Amino acid sequence: MKRSVFLSLLLSVTATAALAQDPIKIGIPVGLSGANSVVAPSVVQSAELAAEEINAEGGILGRPVELIVADDGSGAQGAQRAFDSLVFREGVDVLISMETSAARNAGLPIVNRGRVPYIYTSFYEGKSCSPWMYVNAWVPEQQVAPIVDHFMKEFGAKTYFLIGSDYAFGRGMLEFTRQYVEDSGGEIVGEEYLPMDGSDWTAIISKLKAANPDALITSTAGGAPNVTLTKQLRAAGVSIPYGNLAVDEGTAKSMGADANGIFIAASYVTGIDSEENKTFLDAMKAKFDGDLNTPNDLSVPQYEAVYLYKAAVEKAGSTDPQAVIDALSEVSFTGPRGTVQMNKQRHAPLTMYLGQVQEDGSVEVIQSFANVDPGDQCPQLAN
Amino acid sequence: MASLSSKRVYRTVALGAITALAVIAIAPFFMDIYTTNILIRAFYLAALVMTVDILWGYTGILTFGQSAFFGIGAYACALVFTHYGFGPLWAIGALAIGILAALAVAAIVGWLAFYHGASPLYASIITLALPIVLVQLIFAGGRWTGSSSGLSAFPTYYWSTETWFWIAGAYLVLVTSLGFLLVRSDFGRILVAIRENEERAAYLGIPISRIKTGLMMASGAVGAAAGFGYAAFTNVVAPELGDFLLGTELLIWTALGGRGTLIGPVLGAIGIDVTASYLSGTLPFLWKLLTGIAFVVVIVLLPRGLAPILGQAIGFVIPPLRRKPPQSAELVPADWRPIAASFDAPPLKIDELICQYGSLRVLTGVNATVKGGELLSIVGPNGAGKTTLMRCVSDGSERTAGRVYVQGVEIGRGAPQSIVALGVGRSFQNTNLFDTLTVAECLMLARYGVDGAPMFARRAEIRMPEPALDIMRATGLDKVLATETGSLSHGMKRGLELAMVLATEPSVLLLDEPTAGLTKAERTAIGHTLKRLTDEYGLAVVLIEHDLDFVREISSRIVVLHQGSVLMEGTVEEVVNSELVRAVYSGEQVEAVA
Amino acid sequence: MSILVLDIVTTAAILFAVASGLMIILGVMKLINFAHGAFLTVGGYTAFLTTEAGITPWLSAPLAAIFGFLAGIVIERLVVRPLYSRPLDAILATWGLGIVIGQVITLTFGREVQFAASPMSGTFDFGAIDYSAYRIVVTLIAIAIGIALTALFYGTRFGLQARAVIMNETLARGLGIDSGRVRTLTFGLGAGLACAAGALITPLLSVDPNMGLPWLVNSFMLVLVSGVSIPSLALASLILGGAQVAVSTYISPIIGGLTIVVLAAFILRINPRGLGLG
Repeated sequence: MKRSVFLSLLLSVTATAALAQDPIKIGIPVGLSGANSVVAPSVVQSAELAAEEINAEGGILGRPVELIVADDGSGAQGAQRAFDSLVFREGVDVLISMETSAARNAGLPIVNRGRVPYIYTSFYEGKSCSPWMYVNAWVPEQQVAPIVDHFMKEFGAKTYFLIGSDYAFGRGMLEFTRQYVEDSGGEIVGEEYLPMDGSDWTAIISKLKAANPDALITSTAGGAPNVTLTKQLRAAGVSIPYGNLAVDEGTAKSMGADANGIFIAASYVTGIDSEENKTFLDAMKAKFDGDLNTPNDLSVPQYEAVYLYKAAVEKAGSTDPQAVIDALSEVSFTGPRGTVQMNKQRHAPLTMYLGQVQEDGSVEVIQSFANVDPGDQCPQLAN
Repeated sequence: MASLSSKRVYRTVALGAITALAVIAIAPFFMDIYTTNILIRAFYLAALVMTVDILWGYTGILTFGQSAFFGIGAYACALVFTHYGFGPLWAIGALAIGILAALAVAAIVGWLAFYHGASPLYASIITLALPIVLVQLIFAGGRWTGSSSGLSAFPTYYWSTETWFWIAGAYLVLVTSLGFLLVRSDFGRILVAIRENEERAAYLGIPISRIKTGLMMASGAVGAAAGFGYAAFTNVVAPELGDFLLGTELLIWTALGGRGTLIGPVLGAIGIDVTASYLSGTLPFLWKLLTGIAFVVVIVLLPRGLAPILGQAIGFVIPPLRRKPPQSAELVPADWRPIAASFDAPPLKIDELICQYGSLRVLTGVNATVKGGELLSIVGPNGAGKTTLMRCVSDGSERTAGRVYVQGVEIGRGAPQSIVALGVGRSFQNTNLFDTLTVAECLMLARYGVDGAPMFARRAEIRMPEPALDIMRATGLDKVLATETGSLSHGMKRGLELAMVLATEPSVLLLDEPTAGLTKAERTAIGHTLKRLTDEYGLAVVLIEHDLDFVREISSRIVVLHQGSVLMEGTVEEVVNSELVRAVYSGEQVEAVA
Repeated sequence: MSILVLDIVTTAAILFAVASGLMIILGVMKLINFAHGAFLTVGGYTAFLTTEAGITPWLSAPLAAIFGFLAGIVIERLVVRPLYSRPLDAILATWGLGIVIGQVITLTFGREVQFAASPMSGTFDFGAIDYSAYRIVVTLIAIAIGIALTALFYGTRFGLQARAVIMNETLARGLGIDSGRVRTLTFGLGAGLACAAGALITPLLSVDPNMGLPWLVNSFMLVLVSGVSIPSLALASLILGGAQVAVSTYISPIIGGLTIVVLAAFILRINPRGLGLG
């Protein structure tokens, strides 16, 4: 991981006559330390691949692309430093990053002040709006429906129990889930939260067992809370249909038998059967070989966002911030996740995949849902 | 009544503040926006660190929770601007809400953590719990507080970076100057006394709990205002602004900068934060590891941090900057007229006093009355309960049952300082003083109950009652007023101990072996002063003493304590000639040999 | 209802196991070991390494105890010993030590969540209800730890010396007890217990560089409330742990998470001796 960061910091890419020109600087504030440090290397890697590919093809408008990575410590204070440094010291042309919501919120005022286009590439709880920001990852409206629909149809599940970590994402996801379940004719028989650093789910699990619901949907913080909850659920012998809104393919794999049978919904899984995905995975393997961090639902949008920015600059004909912002909603890119265009109030309709974790930890895609709409995220920014 | 040394402090602070302000005024024109932004944030954090240094470095309150006040101020700004309104009045209102909330929280923390008898460990843990509880509340606040995501992009003043730099810089200079005046003032010496020997300070009538709570509240307000500025500038608040990790970082900065130097932690905070901004981006984990190692090394090997070392180095190169020894205040006689003993209430009355530790009964129902102008000696073998008796009289929380009246007032469960306020003065067996304070400063402490102590100035004169001056002269202490007490001789320490107790102008004096280890001449001088106190000033004196010759010379009456109860009470003659007493003492000797 | 009882008892047992190492160090050395959370984490990683090495998970706690004991002795010599006369500085030094341990773990293993095998899975069947088997086992182990500690302190020469140091260190030294040695062994013992507890709770948790931190403050509170005695620590774990479970069950798990801290603070405010049983 250290090495890839180092490489990316020194990444002034070779080749072509484009080198004669000033590079287009892409700032990547990302959580190299802190909570996001597990996923951050994969995000940086996918951005590096995109930059290398673009430079090999002659760059953007003949200018090479340069990536500048800065650690945001996965939190607000670190993000302020990272955004400050990228916007005011490095003078980047665009910010493209996967971050925690706290880091994104901390960065937004700096983005507004510095007037820099910003593409946010992490799924999140929704409804974050700024004239300078676009989002190409999923929001609750897109992720919850496949799981709940499947539970209702396949298992006839009527009563649901919701468990989450007490933070913006956990609450945001479950708030939407509650509404969706109730609108679909189901019933919520319990909704419980544990503080983010909590690890003892005993009381909540006892309540779950007492409520005896048809299905369980959880939305915890990634990493430890997700793992402790799943382990303790299994230890307590809970075996009802279990949809997890926060688990990704990689974590599921490492959890092994405990994750067996969990349902997940994502806009990207490695098993997507398309030419673009195959090409992408091969290119990643070729570039990073043994150091490869498995691509995932957070790193692939990062890859695609670099291309979306390229398309917008080419459409606008310059890197002028306002022109790029105007163009971003009009361009699309067909990548590993299919064709993505951020034309719904700064968010993007996405193809979502419903998967189930298998005994060996792999995720089997059960069903896909094309062009799931993100709903009303930023009505005041309608374009 | 500004003294010479007071003037010198004012001059130093004014000079420092003006220099700092001048640098801050021109600095933005020589720095890029990035560095300016970093410094603005660092300034607000440095103001917070300064409060940590006053609490921990000067007063000895190890606080993990100062970040909570920063968070309170920041959230007051963000919540008001986000949900309620924005404008000059709203801004002032939000700042006021932040400061008031911080004051209220600090008062609660003070009530919880600084009650009489609370261990410093307990106080630390309470300050540790504070940010944890606060952050949990922020998380549970849902949309209102923004939970984990915090609040951002609320309306604020989009002034230029320079303007914000000047505001933050001016705030830091202001609070640091005030902090500097505070720690250099007479009141600042009291804070150091609390750090050095809290129990002793309490017995001199210094209201420890009140001072600590007040200090916590003031620090909380300074911290909240800093947090408010931080939030208004950055336009962002997040739970981490109030969390316990920031609280511990503040301690790390203080320790590295040099606790108890004020300027060290302030510069340390700015230096470390700026370095972190440049380095941690490239070496995130390693940076934290190195800070951790540096912290452990400094705590173990360099408890005073880096500032004193740098200070010495600078002083070595530029001699005029070397710290001059502080000028000492002078002693002037005070007019002491102890409260005339009222007719119906004796100065001290002990009624059926019982003191018990677990199953061990140390005192089993002691009765005694001491009248004004009387010197009552308590004698008895080791372990008879003499010192325990004194402790029970001077600290309301010590006894198990029974009553103690001072000037007719029942002491209840009062802390030592409230009993001192009733007129009880107590000297101790051991000569455990305030090692880093000078003789004059110790006397100033002792006068706190009578004369108070100015918060931002030093007095040139310390008023001393005549008998205390007598003791000072007899032991030669009046010539070493500027000497630190750690380097005094044993006799001088005993003398200072007694002088300090007398400086509180007690009407009841409790003395625990005041002449142990003294020369014959010193003993005679002290005996003479005690006589004068009872005869001329009408004090009620209770004396614990082993030296029966000394007792015989000066006592009005003698109480013999044995195994926790009064074995005999009578005049000097009665007791000295008693067979019973002789038996007890010889018994003790047999025990001691065995 | 009976689930509630089981929840309370097993939660109390886990809290007791986690806090016991801290209590021993506080009792003998009069210092709060802020590296306690880091020791728990070290125990977790020992369990992880045990799993990696293919050793039976039943051995992970004993191995963690041995490693913790040795590491504790070294740490006591290097960091804690110079600070005997400065107890508040010792708090800070051990906190700094915790940061260093955490960062070394992060640099070695990365920040991601690791997995350690559980010695057993599934549930015990108690007639009407079935309950997590491992929690029951942890409870039995915690009781065993309590008994072993009592035996150690009341049945051995070291225990006698340690108790003498707890009561009056100056006097103990006067009686020829090598209090420095007692302190070193105690710190090793406390560290070993903490590591073992970390390994013990790992099957219920995930292994990551911060896994010990959330346990730290609750452990402090339990130890302060209980004073220094094994039965009162058990009592405090039962009362405060029980309150936490009850609040989590009937009010909200979020408030439940704060129960121990807040309740302990007020108990100590009202009675500074806490729940001490002497």
